[in-house]
Amino acid sequence: METPRIRITVTVNGEAVSEDVPGDRSLLDFLRDDLGLTGTKEGCGEGECGACSVIVGGRLVDACLIFAAEADGRNVETVEGLADGEVLHPLQRAFAAAGAAQCGYCTPGMLMAGKALLDRNPSPTREEAAHGIAGNLCRCTGYGTIIQAVMEAAKES
Amino acid sequence: MRVVGQELPRVEILEKVTGQSVFGADVLPGGRVLAGKMVLSPHPHARITAIRTERAERLPGVKAVVTAADLPAIRYGRFVRDEAYFATTKARYAGDRIAAVAAVDEETAEEAARLIEVDYEVLPSVTSGLEAMAPDAPLLHEDYADYWAQPDLDRRGNVCGHKQIVRGDVERGFAEADRIFEHRFHVPMVHQTYIEPHTATARFDASGKATVWASSLALFPLRAAIAQILRMPMTKVRVIPTEIGGGFGGKLSPTVEPAAVVLARKARRPVRIVMSRSEDFQTTNPRHPFHLRYKTGVKHDGTITAREIEVVLGTGFSAGSGVMISQGAAVRAPGPYRVPNLKIDSYCVYTNTSTCGAYRGPAGPQLAFASESQMDIIARELGIDPVELRLRNAMVDGDETPAGARLEDVHAKETLLKAAEAMNAVPRPPGNNVGRGVAMAHWLVGGMASSAGVKLNEDGTVAILTGLVDLSGASTSLAQIAAEVLGVSLDDVHVRTADTDFAPHSTLSAGSQALKSMGGAVLLAAREAKRQIQQVAADKLEADPGDLELDGNTVFVKGSPERAVTLREVGQMALEHARGPIVSTQSVSQLTPHPAIAAHAAEVEVDPETGRVRILRYVAAQDVGTAVNPLSVRGQIEGGVMQGLGQALSEACTFTDGKMDNANLLDYKIFSALDAPPVEVHLVQHPCASGPLGAKGVGEPPIIPPPAVMANAVYDAVGVRIHDLPITPEKIVKALKAKRAAQR
Repeated sequence: METPRIRITVTVNGEAVSEDVPGDRSLLDFLRDDLGLTGTKEGCGEGECGACSVIVGGRLVDACLIFAAEADGRNVETVEGLADGEVLHPLQRAFAAAGAAQCGYCTPGMLMAGKALLDRNPSPTREEAAHGIAGNLCRCTGYGTIIQAVMEAAKES
Repeated sequence: MRVVGQELPRVEILEKVTGQSVFGADVLPGGRVLAGKMVLSPHPHARITAIRTERAERLPGVKAVVTAADLPAIRYGRFVRDEAYFATTKARYAGDRIAAVAAVDEETAEEAARLIEVDYEVLPSVTSGLEAMAPDAPLLHEDYADYWAQPDLDRRGNVCGHKQIVRGDVERGFAEADRIFEHRFHVPMVHQTYIEPHTATARFDASGKATVWASSLALFPLRAAIAQILRMPMTKVRVIPTEIGGGFGGKLSPTVEPAAVVLARKARRPVRIVMSRSEDFQTTNPRHPFHLRYKTGVKHDGTITAREIEVVLGTGFSAGSGVMISQGAAVRAPGPYRVPNLKIDSYCVYTNTSTCGAYRGPAGPQLAFASESQMDIIARELGIDPVELRLRNAMVDGDETPAGARLEDVHAKETLLKAAEAMNAVPRPPGNNVGRGVAMAHWLVGGMASSAGVKLNEDGTVAILTGLVDLSGASTSLAQIAAEVLGVSLDDVHVRTADTDFAPHSTLSAGSQALKSMGGAVLLAAREAKRQIQQVAADKLEADPGDLELDGNTVFVKGSPERAVTLREVGQMALEHARGPIVSTQSVSQLTPHPAIAAHAAEVEVDPETGRVRILRYVAAQDVGTAVNPLSVRGQIEGGVMQGLGQALSEACTFTDGKMDNANLLDYKIFSALDAPPVEVHLVQHPCASGPLGAKGVGEPPIIPPPAVMANAVYDAVGVRIHDLPITPEKIVKALKAKRAAQR
């Protein structure tokens, strides 16, 4: 049985996109499969790992947990929109320098969690930085370098 | 050294921080990709009496349904040929593969999987290795005696491998002892829990060639397995590596790849299978659960006279790598100590679970939890400082493993002292329930068959070709080694991991030996390329090749830097020179194993009301040889510690009636950023004779000590000893209650 389709208009990384999507399409599938923005990753599909973290209307969300239709008329920020052309975002530079990306699978979500934090709290304490990424699981780094990178980026931006 | 030893960002870091890295589910194989889905047994042990696929096949949108009937009837396995890819007459664990489907989208594939009807007669099951050894335990493989197995493998009933090691005379050793200690420990199954689930994409072309994009740690073994399972020549199987979202030993064995290939063949369309998180927990290759018994004899001064050790590994429904891991466990069971008299029995036992595998430091944390908990108990009973007891017995250069291999480059004492010194540098905070613990462990790093190519481009840059999948920074370290030899900067070296059609045979990304093996091959190839460069440059410079040095992208005469040519000139000259283009592929194998030591210390505070353990400080000292890239090395250590702490305090796959009951990331608790303490890392660096430019393997050792460290620190804090991992708040509270009751 076909799910009814809905016309949505979403601003993704500054660019307005209009598409017909099934009402039950997740924002994650919309980004990855319909728009080809595969930088956002799926780790569990249940909102537990944070690999699919994106920013919608200024708030950090798990893209697997919300429908694409819920993003209608809103701004969506993904890892692909972080850099300004060739110029990396301070978080990206800090992650690279600190060794905060090992396998790299959690990295896009971690970067977006870091950005959501710095957008509302430009100079977090170590504890606040840890809270900012608490919903994002990483199995490689042990988190220390990620927290360090968020703190470094805060200093730079 | 100029490049080796530098903290350099990883060579592929830009792709990783911009979301451009292509992981398993990001691959575009050409054409519309079908969604594949596995049909798995819901029962841990059941006879299969019928499989009906007709309803699934009739569902619109379904393009292929496959079962055992679509594959040659073979059993495979490296040590025992006891595994069939699809179950035929019997399902041996909840998750055993019955069939697979491919459909136009995931929803249709899921619906088709539900429509496959399987008739089961449920049989009694067993998930504990110890219980599976009992005479009346349900037998997993009734025909085990007829299976092909490696010669000399001691097998009986559910025991698919028994290794015994005897050194000296253990009875005499116990007779010489002043005190004898005997304890039992249990370590449950834990899962690697990489963030990217298992994923495979396959296509089958008109010539009958299968191409598989896999997030695998073992490209060449995967190619061999697919060729074997589908009975195809290796030239007809091409495995292309994707970036891999974490492995930790969990992506060494084939899982969904053969199903993706056979579905693609039948559907004549590309197929992708992405495991759900729940499937990944239940059907991959986690860490073996262990039952352990340690009996140790000591003199009053703490000198160990004998150890008798029994370990039982639950290997799951097939032997898998469990036989090898149980044999390795026997060799490492006594810990990094000199024990003159030993008797070790290690059993690998079938159980009704998924086949356990080589989770980072296989057998390491289980053995160290038992051995190092007992060392702590002994120290307290004898009134000797726990560090002092370990120093008194620590192995040194020239000591032998229980298997008789002589060890060199052992830095156990120095590494332990470094950890102890770092912990003691800060006074213990006041408070009643604060405690400290220490533990030491070793890993043996071999070196496996590996080859790599190094070439000089016409513009003077350098390319490295390997078949090694990089997770932990290996590519960067390989580039650093080549850059060091050829006198160029890291930016001038490009590393490419090619697929199995093009790459020279390379080792697995496993066992901490990737850098040792591949680094060894790259070092040889770079040195040969250097020799060729010197040869070409010597003609131009009218000098002896042996007098030429490489540095700063130039070749110059030793002592006369003005007599120089650039590497770019050499790259171009070589094309006109009789010697031809500069390129070398070199191989290594069977490298001498070296020990790598990890010594950790922690300070914890335990809340006696809630049992909650708060880690106040964590110190990790590690003997790493030459740290080729200290940034990568520290990253490995910090990450390894955190996985080890998860196993210590919160992680366990738990089963009810043979089914895993916490197969999701909410109930299976890995550490989050809020649980993670900062880790103080201390590197002990002495160049290792058997490693490339002195490097030792670094990935496995840091995961091994944390469970023992936590057990010892918790005891120091509140005086209760937990013998069964994980050390949960519930167990601590219960033990404290029992202790109070005993005191009344």
